[in-house]
Amino acid sequence: MLTRGTLIYISQRLVLIVFTVLAVSSAVFLGIHRLPGDALFNEHLHGTEYQNVLHHYGLDLPLWTQYTNYLTGMFLHGDLGESFVNRGVKIAPLVLREATVSAEVGAFALIFTIGLGMLLGVVAAVRQNTWVDYVLSTTSVIGYSMPSFVIATFLILFFAVWLDNFTQGGFYFQIGWTGTYGSIGEIWLPAFALGFPYASIVARLTRASMLEVIRQDYIRTARAKGLREQIIIVRHALRNALIPVVTILGPLVIGIITGGVIIENIFGIPGLGKEFATSILNRDYNIVIGVFTMYAALIGIANLGVDLLYVVIDPRIRY
Amino acid sequence: MAATAAAVVVRPVTPVQASLWSDAWRRLRRNRLALAGAIYLLFLLGVALIAFVWTPYPMAGVAVAAPYSGPSSAHIFGADLLGRDVLSRVMVGAQISLTVGIGTQLIVLAVGVPVGLIAGYFGGWLDSIVSFLVNVFYGVPDLLVALLLVVLLGHPGLDKIIIAISVTRWMDMTRLVRGQTLALREREFIEAARASGARPIKILFGHVLPNALGPVIVQATFGVPAAILFEAFLSFLGLGVPPPQPSWGSMAADGLSAIRIAPHMVIAPSIALSLTLMAFNFLGDGLRDALDPRSRR
Repeated sequence: MLTRGTLIYISQRLVLIVFTVLAVSSAVFLGIHRLPGDALFNEHLHGTEYQNVLHHYGLDLPLWTQYTNYLTGMFLHGDLGESFVNRGVKIAPLVLREATVSAEVGAFALIFTIGLGMLLGVVAAVRQNTWVDYVLSTTSVIGYSMPSFVIATFLILFFAVWLDNFTQGGFYFQIGWTGTYGSIGEIWLPAFALGFPYASIVARLTRASMLEVIRQDYIRTARAKGLREQIIIVRHALRNALIPVVTILGPLVIGIITGGVIIENIFGIPGLGKEFATSILNRDYNIVIGVFTMYAALIGIANLGVDLLYVVIDPRIRY
Repeated sequence: MAATAAAVVVRPVTPVQASLWSDAWRRLRRNRLALAGAIYLLFLLGVALIAFVWTPYPMAGVAVAAPYSGPSSAHIFGADLLGRDVLSRVMVGAQISLTVGIGTQLIVLAVGVPVGLIAGYFGGWLDSIVSFLVNVFYGVPDLLVALLLVVLLGHPGLDKIIIAISVTRWMDMTRLVRGQTLALREREFIEAARASGARPIKILFGHVLPNALGPVIVQATFGVPAAILFEAFLSFLGLGVPPPQPSWGSMAADGLSAIRIAPHMVIAPSIALSLTLMAFNFLGDGLRDALDPRSRR
């Protein structure tokens, strides 16, 4: 599978990712430095104290020098500068750690999305035009129309509030994470809330493509030679029904990464999305730039991963 | 302007046009979900308009009820953290959502339709540039770009939000109109118009656009809930319309922080938002089946 062509393809894509990150980072850097006012506006510093802080961040240099300093710092030392609000806090390790937290939530959400979506889609297709199909189809329309934060809110209401009251505190979902990374018990609800709208889309697609595949001759042949229904569905039908589903994986992964901004804020998850909103509200512009740079890298790598997955699922695709 | 131009040119074939619309209306009427969506949206529009002149309590009126108090006969949806009437704020929130949704689509139409027409009709380097830009915008995650734009545009306000969302949405319409134009420009009646010496602008707005109107209307209908959702996201994160102006997103965020003591605060705006998005999606599905039968699955 890892042929020479694939390796060349991967390295080309990695180069492209570096350029994308550079472009995004530059656009955000220049855009933000063009903003009127200055980043230390909130602190009411005066005189030499103010000049010292400006000098500390290199903000007294011409914009062009600041920009080249920023680029050399980023590429040669992996340095994204320092937080304006929490002085002395380096941004690069911070956002790197937060990106892995976001990736953890995103990976779990992806598992929910694909697992649940495929399961519902297959069940709806196999039981076409029965009440099971109607219930599942209606659920998926609702899931598709409800914004993720509304779904998250109702899940919290149910699992964290009502269940708590109902069982007298015996069983409930605790919002907020105790450590840097979430345990299974902490992560399943945010991952479910993040994945559910996309699971609806996957379910709709799987159902439609299953219905198409199930009517084909080779499935009839499989039935005729006496294979069990489960084996026909799982081994013969599902594999081909998956191909249209795979094509939406790319937009789906991007949707999950951006949707994480909301979900992380709701569930108090210390990831990139929470940092993003906090830093914008705090006007901590260095972190805003760092978070955007990190997002560009994360999305580039996720897209590359999806494209490589195509090869695994559909052997006809080669790079 | 486009509408009058269309009417003038289309006059000779009025019977055909009339039957298209009446045919579409007949099909739309049979789709019960779409009809329910349309009725809900008319109701919502009525609520939003009424909220301009009357709300049960002033939307920013602090302490008209006990803070966090639940639904009662005087305050059907209860009160929020400052003792403001939630029903009044949901009503004004409808104004915000509809303004953002429709305002964004107007900008998207104003940009996407002419750019798509020109790129599709003239082709060449113009088309290459437009297609490149469309692809670039499709490649970047829209929510993050909208968030960044809100930051870069400075002070929060409804106009800034509409602009930020339009920037992340214009390419849907552009791509659609471009595709339609590409298909239409090879047709005989366009060639006939060109041969009879019609100016490009007349061909584009008089002949091409009227024939692409169905898909454009469908796309615009689906664009409205997308924009409403974005505004709710931005407001939810605290980057939307500034307080005390209510938005369903910011109301939900307020409610979420008080979810244990006052769940009604989060339920009312969340349901209003979900119903609105669902209504637009159902109506869009219905319109697509009615106006654009070829694209039916």
